[in-house]
Amino acid sequence: MTKLFVILMSLAVSAGPWAAEAADPKLKVGILHLGSVTDGGYNQAHAEGIAVMKKNLPEVEVIQVENVPEGADAERVMENMINRGAQMIIAASFGYLEPTMRVAQKYPNVKFFHPGGYKRTPNMTTYWASTPEAFYLMGMAAGKTTKTNKIGYVVALPISFFLANINAFELGARSVNPKAETRVVFTGTFLDPGKEATAANALLEQGCDVLGVIVDSPITVVQTAEKRGAYSVGFHYIGVSKFAPKGWVTGVAFTWGNLYTRFAREVMDGKFKSEDILGGLADDFLTLAPFGAAVPKDAATLVEAKKQDFIARKAHPFQGPLNDNRGAERVKAGETFPLTDLRKMDWLVEGVVGQPR
Amino acid sequence: MITAAIRSLLSGAVMSGTPLLYATLAELLSERAGVVNLGLEGVMLVGAVVGFVATVHTGSAAVGLVAAGLAGGLFNLVFAFVVIGRRANQLAAGLTLMFCGVGLSALIGARYVGSQIAGLPELRVPILADLPIVGPALFTHDALAYAAGPVAVLVWWVLFRTRWGLVVRAVGENPVAAFAAGKNPHAVQYQVLFLAGVLGGLAGAHLSLAVARTWAEWMTAGRGFIAVALVIFSRWHPLRAVAGALLFGGAISLQLQMQALGVPLSPFLLDMLPYLLSLAVLAVSSGRARHAVPGSLGRVFQGTQ
Amino acid sequence: MADASVIRDARLETLGRFAGLLAIALALFAAVLVLFGRNPLRAYADIFSSTLGSTYGFSETLVKMSPLILTALAAAVPSRIWLINVGGEGQLFVGAMCATWAAIHLTGLPSFLLLTIMAALGVLGGGLWAAIAGALRASGRVSETISTLLMNYIAILLVNFVVFGPWKDPDGVNYPQTAEFSAAAILPMLGGTRVHLGLVFALVAAVGLAFLLARTRWGLEVRAIGGNAEAARRNGIPIERYVLVMMFIGGGLAGLAGMAEVSAIQGRLRPSLSPGYGYSGFLISWMAGGHPAGIVAAAFVLAVITAGGDILQMTQALPGSVVNILMAVVLFVVLGRQVGRR
Repeated sequence: MTKLFVILMSLAVSAGPWAAEAADPKLKVGILHLGSVTDGGYNQAHAEGIAVMKKNLPEVEVIQVENVPEGADAERVMENMINRGAQMIIAASFGYLEPTMRVAQKYPNVKFFHPGGYKRTPNMTTYWASTPEAFYLMGMAAGKTTKTNKIGYVVALPISFFLANINAFELGARSVNPKAETRVVFTGTFLDPGKEATAANALLEQGCDVLGVIVDSPITVVQTAEKRGAYSVGFHYIGVSKFAPKGWVTGVAFTWGNLYTRFAREVMDGKFKSEDILGGLADDFLTLAPFGAAVPKDAATLVEAKKQDFIARKAHPFQGPLNDNRGAERVKAGETFPLTDLRKMDWLVEGVVGQPR
Repeated sequence: MITAAIRSLLSGAVMSGTPLLYATLAELLSERAGVVNLGLEGVMLVGAVVGFVATVHTGSAAVGLVAAGLAGGLFNLVFAFVVIGRRANQLAAGLTLMFCGVGLSALIGARYVGSQIAGLPELRVPILADLPIVGPALFTHDALAYAAGPVAVLVWWVLFRTRWGLVVRAVGENPVAAFAAGKNPHAVQYQVLFLAGVLGGLAGAHLSLAVARTWAEWMTAGRGFIAVALVIFSRWHPLRAVAGALLFGGAISLQLQMQALGVPLSPFLLDMLPYLLSLAVLAVSSGRARHAVPGSLGRVFQGTQ
Repeated sequence: MADASVIRDARLETLGRFAGLLAIALALFAAVLVLFGRNPLRAYADIFSSTLGSTYGFSETLVKMSPLILTALAAAVPSRIWLINVGGEGQLFVGAMCATWAAIHLTGLPSFLLLTIMAALGVLGGGLWAAIAGALRASGRVSETISTLLMNYIAILLVNFVVFGPWKDPDGVNYPQTAEFSAAAILPMLGGTRVHLGLVFALVAAVGLAFLLARTRWGLEVRAIGGNAEAARRNGIPIERYVLVMMFIGGGLAGLAGMAEVSAIQGRLRPSLSPGYGYSGFLISWMAGGHPAGIVAAAFVLAVITAGGDILQMTQALPGSVVNILMAVVLFVVLGRQVGRR
């Protein structure tokens, strides 16, 4: 028995990949994920972005760690990456913000990138793609497609970014269909297909004929909608349209590839500058999926027009006057709710049925 | 709107309750034979992923079910070996099994995230499905859901009306006495654990083949642990397990339903409903609990076994 | 009475057996790594250097151990009278919640006072949470296994509720978390590392427990109940009261872990406070047979394994799932020793 192990070990030692790395990589990039990169959703989008970056820049080496809890573990993982030569770190989850800042302060020569952060150190860049405009457009498409005027949304948690998305969606739907109503159910967790299916069915029973979804992976809800003959709106995963050949409306996904390539290039060329990037429809890290066959043709024209208005800053998804669904005034007439303040949005707009807290 | 809500509630109760029932029956059998398996979650996950992968490859959900059951049974045999063959601490070994299941299922399923299957077809029961409210709620489910009740009855019958079931219960009460009576407790426990594994695998398969029709890591989200609780809730009786699973599944469905209706209560408080309800029912209907525990289970908890 | 040298030999034998087990586990681990085309020696070297081979690495191992020891004790204390406390996770959260209340409402207090109050509230919160389950058990109504398990879920939902609602960070972040704690509410740390006072809590608790159980009348009564509850009851020992007390202590320890985590590591209350420390602690406690010394050792091993898991992902490009499997394999091997008891 012991002999066998000794033989195995010697084989491993001699045949295993020793220090057989190719030429030293020009840049080592570390990325940490809260979940698994095969979740068909949020984490996978980041991983795919990294894959595109690697393809564009073969001289870059990637160190990837999944399932890193927020807090102390994140800091430890980042430090370990730096100890292994990482010069660029992407902390791919909102909850990593404070750990990232602490590590960033400790290693001023390493560059850090954080999606969704609202504060940074001089060696850190925060970035996000502002989604409400996209959701507004999706809402327009859904508002035109629905026959019962009831849209259901299965959402993980009442986080402000998600609430903002739903609000924008409803406002978009209302703008083309004054009777459109959105009902929200929170599952309480980012990934639980069983609960998502149950929630989707509950919404369908209440008469919703369009289902939207904001959880880690949209597959379950989209499939459930399709099975019951309803329409669906996706998020996080462009490829999900194949699950709804009849009912697909549209979807939006993050496509980080080019952005990550740009980040890596900047770091390699020494041209890094700390900034807060808030992308939108005009940027390529937010992609709106093509409309499905179920969407009426005139909707596409309307949406395209609105999209151009958004890009040209002639329109704003949160244009006052806006009341929340408990009757309180939230945005005065003539004012807008700034997109940079989405973090403060803890209410649901009139027309949305749901409890945000 | 109310009728829609009731219909949806009942339907959701069955949908959420089915995997719970299979899992509870699995754990119930196991504990009746004196073995506590805290790793049921892992077994369910293995069943879910294997069932899903098999369905993707063969296009047949039936094949998927068989594969899921087999995989669950075999996986549970690993646990059986560790606790029976090697006499390891059952509680710790169970938790380890869970970790193993989480990892193994994630590994197997990695390439299949986003794969599409038709899943278990919905089977409308003619005539009955046309009954108002109850019809669509109870009679438009998949084969596994329909089979859940009968399986529970089968488990009850096997445990309480067959010789083998008697031996199983004897082993669970007092393995030494069973041994003295000429039975082989270890062999019996292996058999039971395999069966329990099959049921656990089916529980997982229902999630991936019928409810969600997709695979996602850790998609059981704690249902395996709930099943352990439901076994105690049902006082180790298969028929009461049906009630327990329906109650809990119903409570899950209820809170989601209430949100869909727009009930002005915090989603988090609503989410507590299933757990509070279970505790309340237990606290109220107590008294006989103490005597229902299979004898040797107590010794498991005392660490002398 | 056994001869001292006999006891020493027995202990050496156990140590030797444990070392042998570890060797087998490591070898098995290595074999699996080879199967995946990885270099086990490199992997071990990396793990060692990241967990023990540097001050930073070692300090991080200690940081990881602190909550694990406390939550393991949370399961171990009630287990002395055969109570199964799987509720460490929930008790940790409730303790953290109560400590958070103090941190965000009692601003302006000097640090020493504030931290003491936070620790006390942490113990109180976790202890009472567990005592509820204890009461249900003592009155013969609900098995504590099921009640503590269910209450885990309720506790996490409670934290979600306060963090999304009344205690949400008014700094306008609106992500589910409370306001940042002031510096006064942060547990002091050692040097430039993140080793914090929580480790001291943990070690004191472990030592204290061992002492109390072995040398006090209270410990004697606990052991009596653990040996034969019926006989103990007939001898006048108030079992029901002990059920409550032991659960309270267990829960209190978990609550203290929650306070330490939220204060020293997180700096604010979030739903993601604990990556399953309660359950890991339960596992550790039952693996170590509830013995404080074994618990510290097992917590150490688990901390190393967890850190090792991340290293494997980093340096060997192994997916997280494989690391889980490897951990399980090692645990199975350690558990599968032919001891007969336990």
